[in-house]
Amino acid sequence: MNRLQGFLKQLAPHLGLVAVLLVLVAIFSTLSNNFFQMSTVISIANQVPDLTFLVVGMTLVLIIGGIDLSVGSLLAVSSAVLGVLMVNYEWSIWAALPIAVLVASIGGGVNGAISIGFGIPSFIVTLGMLEIARGATKVVTDSKAIYIGSRIEWFGQPLPGAFVSPAFMFAIATVVLGQLFLTRTVWGRYCIAIGTNAEAVRMSGIRSAPLCIAIFAISGMMCGLAGLAQTSRLSTADPNAAIGIELAAIAACVIGGTSLMGGRGNVIRSFIGVLIIQVLQTGLAQVGVSDASKQIITGVVIVVAVLIDALRTRWSRS
Amino acid sequence: MLTAIITGPGPQRDLTLSGQVSKSLNNESLPMVQSACRSKTTTIQRVVCVAAVLALMVTGCTSSNSTSQSKDEGNEKPRVALIMKSLANEFFSTMAKGAEAHQAEHSDQYELVVNGIKDERDVSRQVALVEEMVASGVDAIVIAPADSKVLVPALRRAINAGVVVVNIDNRLDADVLQQENIAVPFVGPDNLAGAKAVGDYLAANRKGDKVAILEGIRTSFNAQQRLKGFEAAMKEANMEIVSSQSADWEMSRANTVASSMLSEHPEISAILAANDSMALGAIAAVKSAGRAGEVQIVGFDNITAIRQAIEEGKVLATADQHGDQLAVFGIEAALEQLGDSSDSVASIEDVETPVDLITSETLSNE
Repeated sequence: MNRLQGFLKQLAPHLGLVAVLLVLVAIFSTLSNNFFQMSTVISIANQVPDLTFLVVGMTLVLIIGGIDLSVGSLLAVSSAVLGVLMVNYEWSIWAALPIAVLVASIGGGVNGAISIGFGIPSFIVTLGMLEIARGATKVVTDSKAIYIGSRIEWFGQPLPGAFVSPAFMFAIATVVLGQLFLTRTVWGRYCIAIGTNAEAVRMSGIRSAPLCIAIFAISGMMCGLAGLAQTSRLSTADPNAAIGIELAAIAACVIGGTSLMGGRGNVIRSFIGVLIIQVLQTGLAQVGVSDASKQIITGVVIVVAVLIDALRTRWSRS
Repeated sequence: MLTAIITGPGPQRDLTLSGQVSKSLNNESLPMVQSACRSKTTTIQRVVCVAAVLALMVTGCTSSNSTSQSKDEGNEKPRVALIMKSLANEFFSTMAKGAEAHQAEHSDQYELVVNGIKDERDVSRQVALVEEMVASGVDAIVIAPADSKVLVPALRRAINAGVVVVNIDNRLDADVLQQENIAVPFVGPDNLAGAKAVGDYLAANRKGDKVAILEGIRTSFNAQQRLKGFEAAMKEANMEIVSSQSADWEMSRANTVASSMLSEHPEISAILAANDSMALGAIAAVKSAGRAGEVQIVGFDNITAIRQAIEEGKVLATADQHGDQLAVFGIEAALEQLGDSSDSVASIEDVETPVDLITSETLSNE
């Protein structure tokens, strides 16, 4: 009984968000005859892994008070490396993948090292990396889309018998690991402390710099995995992949209640933010509303979701 | 100076340790002076930001400028500026390479400056490029406009400055051209006819009568023409278009939109994509819906990645509008007009370039 109460208490803060998600699902189910069905669920589950990986890294970066604008470009560069190694050099996926993820992790690590090491706002450092990595992607791919085909698509396609792809399961596992890191490890608690009051952390004699740099590198690593997810979903390495996805990732985190000022965030809630964005995209496409309305509705839902969450927090406090 | 005030007596290293995270730190424990100073820091940070952005833009531009000038001769040769859309797009990068190869062969006849913009929506940068090229004194501009209306006034200024302008790829809007009182020759393929040919081939080889269309960015002339071509072919064959949505020419967008279309309308037997990137996105959507082999897909542009998909039977057909030669056709038209100094009005006429249907048969014949 106590355990159940404890569980419900833990669940309570997420209810506002889950409600937004359910309302969206309900609306689209009434507007479209074919929304509330398995094929839609599969299609959504198939599309979320890219953004999910990015959001795990982004949540951690936002929590320590940073921001990472380079995620879309790092995703593209890892996808490009994967494509070129697998097609032009005929490497196997198992040989190419570690290199691709490493490249993105190094990009993230450089972001962290420069921004933390020299005290430069991560906004500007990662903005620079956004351009550098996109340029590198064009160099690596020669600005051409690289078609890889069945050697990679198994990772992004639903497993026979199961409804979800290996990419989806891997993404969910990453969300769980990210949340455990944040709540159950001393490093995770330090992250929240750094985001809340870096000065106090420093005064308590904790060396925060290496941890912060590691968080940026983790964000880079997530971009590498997102690159794998996207490349396998499309069977193609696309040099123009994920342009502007950083804004979707930040939106998902903020919908999930992550503070842009640092110190507050939750990976699972960010994942619900991803689901809200994806349900919205899929639903609007199924209903077939015009492009202009799609953009307006998406914007409104993002603001309303954050608003509902803010109001709920205020009510529960008073 | 300011940073020294903020850190106070502490050694410099302390600042670097707390580093950038300190920007978000709440000021409860800090004296008032510091928070006052902090607002000044933000101004400084802002200046740094602006400077960095400017630096990025400058480096971005210079890196995308590829000048192929031969320096052994004087300035008598005409200078032609080729202004492209995004050079990240394979279609335009092959076009630029074709033009550079052509210039290398005819280096005694003209000099070439190739410029592109960062992505296809960066219209304002393209307008700036036109002005920069006019200022640098080029004799002719060959342009693939990112927008069929916005570019017209800038091109009018170029023409008034005595520069020959040739329009390739995306046709400038006829009404605006008239309002601005200028004539610009268009050199390019008939997208409507190309899309019609692709649609006709699908109709002749169809597995069903219900189709969906993935459109390009709706404001672009090519997207409208290709849509019209597809629609005409479907109407002629009595096939029904159950859904038609834009996927912004993008692979990942197309994947999302096509997946939704397939769940909403399971009866779809074919998807017509207005370019090959979107066709690639549709292949993946069909595959993940478990309907590989049942839903036919056609594209447009004949990019490298689509050829393998055609050979594997995942894509039925695409259209090749010889993108690599398009800029060359434009440059030749410009040179002709430059050489024809007596009566420039007479040479202002459109040139239609060929569009070919590409299928597994044509590929195996190569």
